[in-house]
Amino acid sequence: MSNEPRKESLRYLFERVVTPLGYKFTPDAELVDELLEAEVKLEQDLGAPYCPCQGRSGVREEDMKIVCPCIPFHRAHFDAMKRCWCGLFVHLDVTDPDSLPQFPPDED
Amino acid sequence: MIDEVFVYALSTCPWCRKTKQWFDDSKIEYEAVDVDKLSGDEQDAAADKAYELSGGRRFPVVVINGEVVVGYNPDKFLQHLRSWGGGG
Repeated sequence: MSNEPRKESLRYLFERVVTPLGYKFTPDAELVDELLEAEVKLEQDLGAPYCPCQGRSGVREEDMKIVCPCIPFHRAHFDAMKRCWCGLFVHLDVTDPDSLPQFPPDED
Repeated sequence: MIDEVFVYALSTCPWCRKTKQWFDDSKIEYEAVDVDKLSGDEQDAAADKAYELSGGRRFPVVVINGEVVVGYNPDKFLQHLRSWGGGG
C-alpha cells in the first residue's frame, strides 16, 4: 500500500506547526520525500513519526521529545544550526540547506 | 597511515547514509552498524555504546581513531583522519 496519502497528511500538518516557529520544509525535495517516507514507516512500526535520525530510549516521556516536528524540544540547538537535526525543516530564510552544518548541542 | 573508523548509524537516517558514502568516496575503510537493524541484546548494546560515546541519541556517531564526531560533518572527519594529515 502506498504511503503517499499519509505523507501528504504529515506534510499538511507539519507545515502548519513549524511555520509559526520560524521554520519551513527544506528546499531539498528529495530529502523531504525520503524523511517523510521514513517517518511514515516508523509510525507504522512504532506508533509515532519519530525523527529518523535520533534513537529512542524506550522511556515514553523522553521519546515524545523526538516525535516530528520536535523543534520545540530542541529550540536553542536547532536555531543555532538553522535546521532541525534530520534536516527536514530549516529556518525560513534558508535557501541553501547543504551549507548548514550538523553539530551536537554542546558545540553550539 | 591506517585509520580506524566506526560508524554507528540508523537505516532510516539519510545523514548516516551520506556519512558512509563520504567514506566510500574518500576511499577510507570503515566499519559500520545500522543499530535499528540489530535485534535484542545486540541492538541494546550497540545503542547504549553510541549513546555513551555521543552523550545523546543523535545519529550518525562516527569514531575516528578514538575521536567521536556526532553528525554528518566532513570537516570534522578530516580533522581526525591520520591519512589526511589530521588526528592521531
